[in-house]
Formats: sequence, C-alpha cells, structure tokens
Amino acid sequence: MEIINKTTRRRSRFYSSEARVAYLCLIPAFLGLFFLTYAPLVGVLGISMTNWTGLTKPGFVGFDNYVNLFKSDPYLKDSIIATIYFAILSVAGSMIYSLFIAILLNRKIPARGFFRAVFYVPFVLPAVAIYVGWSWLYEANFGFFNFLLSEIGLKKILFIADSSYVVPSLSLISVWLAGNLIVIFLAGLQNVPSVYHEAAEMDGASGWKRFKHITLPCMTPIIFYNLLLSLIANLQIITPALALTNGGPGNSSRFLTYLMYDQAFVNYKLGYACATTFIIFAILAAFTAVLFKTSGRWIFSEGGDDK
Amino acid sequence: MSEVVYGRLKSKKRNNLMMNIVTLVVIVFFAILVLFPIWWIFRTSLMTTPEIYKYPPSLIPPNWLFSNYEKTLETFRFWKYLFNTMVIIVPSCLAGTYTATLCGYAFARLRFRGKQFIWTLCIGSMLLPAMVTLIPLYIGWTRGLGLHDSYLPLILPYFCGGGAFNIFLIRQFILSIPRELDQAATIDGAGYFRILFSIIMPAIKPAMIVVALFIFIGLWNDLLQQMIYINSSDKYTIALGLTNFRGQFKSDWSLTMAATCMSFAPGVIFYLIGQKYFVEGITMTGIKS
Repeated sequence: MEIINKTTRRRSRFYSSEARVAYLCLIPAFLGLFFLTYAPLVGVLGISMTNWTGLTKPGFVGFDNYVNLFKSDPYLKDSIIATIYFAILSVAGSMIYSLFIAILLNRKIPARGFFRAVFYVPFVLPAVAIYVGWSWLYEANFGFFNFLLSEIGLKKILFIADSSYVVPSLSLISVWLAGNLIVIFLAGLQNVPSVYHEAAEMDGASGWKRFKHITLPCMTPIIFYNLLLSLIANLQIITPALALTNGGPGNSSRFLTYLMYDQAFVNYKLGYACATTFIIFAILAAFTAVLFKTSGRWIFSEGGDDK
Repeated sequence: MSEVVYGRLKSKKRNNLMMNIVTLVVIVFFAILVLFPIWWIFRTSLMTTPEIYKYPPSLIPPNWLFSNYEKTLETFRFWKYLFNTMVIIVPSCLAGTYTATLCGYAFARLRFRGKQFIWTLCIGSMLLPAMVTLIPLYIGWTRGLGLHDSYLPLILPYFCGGGAFNIFLIRQFILSIPRELDQAATIDGAGYFRILFSIIMPAIKPAMIVVALFIFIGLWNDLLQQMIYINSSDKYTIALGLTNFRGQFKSDWSLTMAATCMSFAPGVIFYLIGQKYFVEGITMTGIKS
C-alpha cells in the first residue's frame, strides 16, 4: 500500500514538472499562434468591416466593402480569373512535368544524382532574379524565344507584354521551378515496394500495366501532397506581378494577391483590402476543401480503407 | 525449356538496355532545357549591347566581358544587399529552427493538459495562407509597435516556432525516434531538457537542417514582405535591390543580367555546399507527411 502511494505521488509530481517543461517549450508557439495567426485572422474580418485608410479614424461600414467589391470593383473579376487561370496552368504543368521527370530519373541511369541536382537548381535561385532573368528571354524583339519563333518562320510574340500570353508565360516559369516536386516524387517512387513489381512481372504484366496498376496507386498520397503544395503556392502568386508586370498589360496579370497589395499599400484602403484578403482566403479554402473531399476517392492506402 | 527462358531473359536485358539509353537521352535533353535559361542569362551578362542585339545571336559570348560586372556594381550594391539579406536570414534560421524544435519536442514527447487542443490550433494554422494575415500584421508591426523601415517584422516571427509546418515536421521526426532512448536517459537521471539537448537534437539533426533550409528559401524568395516593411535603400535586400536596379536600367540588358547572375550566385553556392541536405530534406517532407 505504502509503495503504491509513493509511486502515484511521484507520478503526479513527475507529471506536473513534465507539463511545466512542455508549456515552457511551447511559449514560442503560443505567441505565434495568438499574435501571428489567430488574432490577425480576426483582425482581417474586423478591419474588412471598416473604411480605414490608415490615416483617419476607422468607421464601421458593415458589409459595404464586400458589396462594393462585388458590385463595382473594376479589377476583382479579372483578378479572380487571372489567379485561377494561372494556378490551374501552373499546377497542371508542374505536376505532369515533375512526375514525368521523376519517373525517368527512377530508372537506373548513370549520374542520376547529378541530374536530380540539375532539375532542382531553379528552386534555390531567388524568385525575383528568376523573373527578371526570364523577362529577358521573353523580350519582345531580341529575346531568345522570339529568336526561336523567327527561326521557324513564325510571327513575334510579346509574351509578358501581351495580355493573352502573359499568364501562360509566367506559368511556364512556375513549371520550370518545380524541382522540389520532382525530388518528392522521386522519393515516393523509390518507396513503392518492389515486391509488387516482381510479382506482377512474374504474372507477365507489361511495363505500362505495372505503372498503371502498381506505381500510380502507390503514388497517390504523394501526388496529393504535391498537388496541395503547388496549389497553395500558385494561388498566392505575387512576385512576378510585383517585380515585372505590375498587374499588366491591362489587368491580365493582376492576381488577387497583387490586387490586395495595390489596395492596401498603394491606395491605402486598408478596410477594402481586407475584404479582398477574405476573398483570397475563401478561394484557397474552397480549392483545398475540394481536394480533401475528393481525396478519399482516389488516394490509395496500403492498409485498405478504414471505413 | 531452359534455353527458351534464357533467351527471353537475354532479350529482356537487351530491351532494358535500350530503354535506359532512351531514358538517358530524354533526361539529357530536359536537363539542357532546364539549364539553358540560366546559361542564356549568364552569357548575356558578358556581352555588349550591340552583341546582344546581333542576329543570329551567339550562344557563347565573343569576348567574355567581365567588366560588365564592375559597371553593374557601381549602382547595384551587391555586397551591401547580400549583407542585409543575411542580417535577416541568419537570426531567422537559427531562431526558427531552435523554437520549432522546442515546440515539436513538447508535442511529440511531453504530456500536458490541453495538448490535443493546442495541436489542433497548430495544424489549423498550417492551412491558413500567409497572405491572409499580411495586412493585420503590417498594421501591428508598424502602428502597434512603431517598427518602420526595420528588419524586425521579418525576423521576429521566426522566434515563434518558425511556422506550424516546421513544428509539424520536427514532431513527426521525433515520433520516429524510439522512446527507449529517452527512457534509458531518464533512468540515468536526465531531465527533459537534458534529453532534448543530448538525445533528441543529435538524432533529428537532418530535420533541423531541413527546417533551417526551408526558412532560408522562404526568406530568399520573398519580395512582398520586404517591400512593405523596408523603405530606405540602405536597408535593401538582394530582392529589393534587384527589383530597383531593373527599374533603373530597364533597357540595359547586359547590366541587368549581370545583376541577376550575382543574385543567383549565393543560392547556387549554398546549394552546392548543402546539396545532400537539400535533397534528403525535401525527400523527408514528402515521406513523413
């Protein structure tokens, strides 16, 4: 009896000191979650209901900012279209490209590590420098791409200075940057249990069949992860608009994030910009929700379905 | 019978070899495509303007004009910008990695009241895009704390766990380390911090390096936040300096490309040094989560 009592007492003291250490360790997370995440989130909602400009005292305007955004904002519709257009092109392009390269790199070829490093290089270059550099390749008269076009006898294209080419041109850069996706895919491919392949080979399954029925299903969790990663990144694109296009030509590259930046930091309409922020949030949440909702249908789990 | 099998194996081997050769050719082709823009930018930085505009353009610069770089450096204060960027990056990486490790350790190993709730809040914040909190944070830093034209709004957030994703990554990693190790240390009389510092930290070193690299890449690629928080040109980072330089020398492509190449250089050098960790780390994130 005595002994049991002693151990429980010791246990509870043990527990409390453990909790104290935990709270101590978590101080940074508490600060971050409160001041950098959830309080600002409430703040966005709050400010979006005011007409604050940063100079005058904010006045409460209810949902006026949202009504104005949807009713009379000259840019909102173009912005939403540009953002989603860019995200779809970039995500689709980079997923196909990176999966393709990863499958090739997964074969036993010489200097595999070297090639993997090559495909990864664009990812470590600073984004601004990449866009500035590519703007020269896209240059209207003497750029490399226009040299290629004239070599094969086609008319010159203005690329980032042409409202119908600017989004695809910027998407191509996003695809080029997808080196991190390649590396993640490659790791996933190397984790596909080779037993399955050997068994299928014994049964005489062709390469394509094995890819379709073994590799692809085993890869679905990784595909999901990469899809989510690149969707979230591409829907929040802003750097090319800030560094190169300023949203133009016209409104063709006025992405939602750039619209928000413009409203808040150029025109000082903070309340109005927060309403735009909330729209960005809603669009991202909608895309993420769709991805998660449908994921159960196509993601393969090795242990079978829990349901 | 055995001869048939042997023959089939042989033809399969030949087939495989053919496939590998085709793969190699395709890979080399794509590798050239990926590297080509970088080469094109580099070769432009070493040419004069008339040479750039010549038709057909030459693939290799005729006289490797390194003096372009000297000319660029007269306005593009690269070393200053690099120093400024490092002033932001170094403390952020150190603090972010350290605090993320502390938090990850608490979530992975320690029992305390409210753990599930706090963990849910943490995971929830991972899905919250950074853009959403931008304006309130800007108001908080500049109006609330009066930090105008300062690096602190860029650095201080990393003293708060370096973001939920990094905490998550560290936690997953600690979970994969056998608990027996800590238990053995507890029996030897080690406290929680002692276990963290002398057992957990050495074991999760790769994950910590990855977190540091993520923070590095995040700050390296950022333009928006640097643009809104930094005003004076003395405090410009590489990203701001290059944007500004391009604005001034828009038509002088060789100088702009020289500035671009200089901005590329630190990233490439860091990558060459830490390549092993980069690749391993990115790989881990895909598998662990």
